[in-house]
Amino acid sequence: MKDTRDLKLKQMMSKYTTFVTFVVLLFVLAVLTRGRALTWDSIKTLIIAEAVRAFASLGVGMIIITKGIDLSIGYVVCLTASVAASFAQIPTYETALYYGHSFPLFMPILMGLVAGGLFGLFNGVLVAYGKLPPFIATLGTMSIARGIQLIYTKAAIVSSLTPKFKAIAQNSFGPSFFQIPYLAVYVVVIAFIVWVLLRHTKQGTNFYAIGGNAQAARVSGINVEKDLVCVYFYAGLLYGCAGVLLASRLALANALTANGMELDAIAAVTVGGVSQNGGVGTVGGMIIGIFTMGLINYGMSFLAIDSYYQYLVKGAIIIVAVFFDMKKYAKRA
Amino acid sequence: MKKLALVLAALIALGGMAFASGGGQSSGGGSSSGQVQIALLMRNIDEQFLKDYSESVRKLAAEKNVALNVQDARSDGATQLTQLQTLLNQGYKYFVIVPCVSELSEQMNQLIQAKGGAAAYSNIQPTVDALKVGKNFFFASSPEFVGGRYQGQLIADYFDKNPGKAPGKAVNMLLILGQLGHPAQVNREAGLLAELKTRGYTVNIIARDTANWTPDQSQQKMDAWIAAYRGKFNVVAAQNDGMALGAVESLIQNGFTKSDSSDGTTLTVPVLGIDATQDAINSMKENKLYATVLQDAVGQSASAFDVVYQIASGTYKAGNAAGGTPAATTPIDEAPANDASIIGQCYLVPFVPVDKNSTYYKTH
Repeated sequence: MKDTRDLKLKQMMSKYTTFVTFVVLLFVLAVLTRGRALTWDSIKTLIIAEAVRAFASLGVGMIIITKGIDLSIGYVVCLTASVAASFAQIPTYETALYYGHSFPLFMPILMGLVAGGLFGLFNGVLVAYGKLPPFIATLGTMSIARGIQLIYTKAAIVSSLTPKFKAIAQNSFGPSFFQIPYLAVYVVVIAFIVWVLLRHTKQGTNFYAIGGNAQAARVSGINVEKDLVCVYFYAGLLYGCAGVLLASRLALANALTANGMELDAIAAVTVGGVSQNGGVGTVGGMIIGIFTMGLINYGMSFLAIDSYYQYLVKGAIIIVAVFFDMKKYAKRA
Repeated sequence: MKKLALVLAALIALGGMAFASGGGQSSGGGSSSGQVQIALLMRNIDEQFLKDYSESVRKLAAEKNVALNVQDARSDGATQLTQLQTLLNQGYKYFVIVPCVSELSEQMNQLIQAKGGAAAYSNIQPTVDALKVGKNFFFASSPEFVGGRYQGQLIADYFDKNPGKAPGKAVNMLLILGQLGHPAQVNREAGLLAELKTRGYTVNIIARDTANWTPDQSQQKMDAWIAAYRGKFNVVAAQNDGMALGAVESLIQNGFTKSDSSDGTTLTVPVLGIDATQDAINSMKENKLYATVLQDAVGQSASAFDVVYQIASGTYKAGNAAGGTPAATTPIDEAPANDASIIGQCYLVPFVPVDKNSTYYKTH
């Protein structure tokens, strides 16, 4: 009887590892800061900080489920942020990219999404039909995105954005003591959409099948190439959203916007249980992974851990997460 | 997999406890111990100047028994904004900031102002509007245009002494830039070209491109330029010392050397940087780098830290000197110190040209 209970507990722990990790971290942080790190203001800071990364992480998470990878995230988000910002500049701003032109609010959002979608499509075609390894294909597009960003902006900072555009990511709602950032709502909505896609559509099931065994997926009638193009395209759209929100939050975009976001996003979904071996991962896990990494960043800042040491801790956590992930799936194999 | 949870918890707990107790830094928010708490927000710590700056602030904090919290934003504005918000939640109110981008400074100051805090900015200037958020916000840095002018002055002095190397007073320049759009990149270049023009030289830019402040990119760029423009340039100007030293290596490896160093360098083409890092001074002592311009990391950090410390400890009065630098009184051409209404919030730490005759060179 005791053995059965132990087994059930082990299965529960294994299934909910990411969640357990998050709760343990919350608990540790609460104890170390005597609860001060978990005030609503602090939680709000964490949500705002991780919301943009959540979009990028959900995108690359889907790609990793198909056993791919995307290194172009940071520069594509940088490009989409710059494109979006350029259509949201105050028209009378003397160095505005479209000086004298006033665009409706949907334009920066649309153009950011178009830029992200096109890059996603390009990545997908290179991987699916060009048969390039995703690592190499997206390494190339990473550089292309950077080049286009520099050419488009002439390496200048795209700033002086309209108040309406800034409000998209900077505003909150609710009573003054419990303000909820709009960003939190966007994350919930997009997580729900990706969850529906992955769990309740045939294409979502195909993504898992392709990541599990592309050859077997093909034999079973799945159009692997088409689905791969789609997954990179969807990810591109999510990067577009991330860019729009980032430009709105910062009220600017420049060549260093989203610097290194690809590593943060990949690390977050890996910690969240998305296997680098493909075919495994949940939206819930990804979201918890994102906020786990955010909590680690936040916690270390809060605990006054010097930046020099933060790199060590974050690096160690990523290595440990991947190590246990590989061990887990090696056992299954 | 539950091991993962344990390992993660152990890591954060160990890290937290070690630094909360042994690191000499408070893990708490307010200053219940009476110790002044200051946070240093760095845009990154990869460049030599910024390393020197942050090390100087650490030293000053230790001397004043200040609890210092250092955060590196890895050049990401969003990360820096989050770090600021986190520290404000924690109870930090006083900040020394090297911002990722000027345009972020107003938003940052509004957040700090809401908590009744103060901040001083260096290296990347805050906007005029950012300083207008309150009288407790400061600019403690060096005017980049002047730094560029000094580099131009050193080049003009070199060719005045060696007119045969610039026939017809023509300066044929390879210009290695920092990050494009960076205020230092824009203003140093403008100052350099303006000074050479004032001194009667015609500047022909043979090649001009960014090496993003890094020696390795600079060396690669120079290798390519040497292949394309050998014999067509007579000076190499880099916007920081790291890139200048990358160019020096490239020139040496491509045979641009001579045995005579009477003109101040054994390179056939003089190379100049900006920052006067110790590596640059060492290179000058080896007769490689010709000259540099001191951007005083210690002076800037001392001014920024001191003015914030004065506010935190309640001793600040408008017009006080900070870290040995007087508050500015007369507006200059470069923002934000071009606005008379906030000029008293600016501490302009002077650049200093450094060649082999300069006091700085002789004492380092």
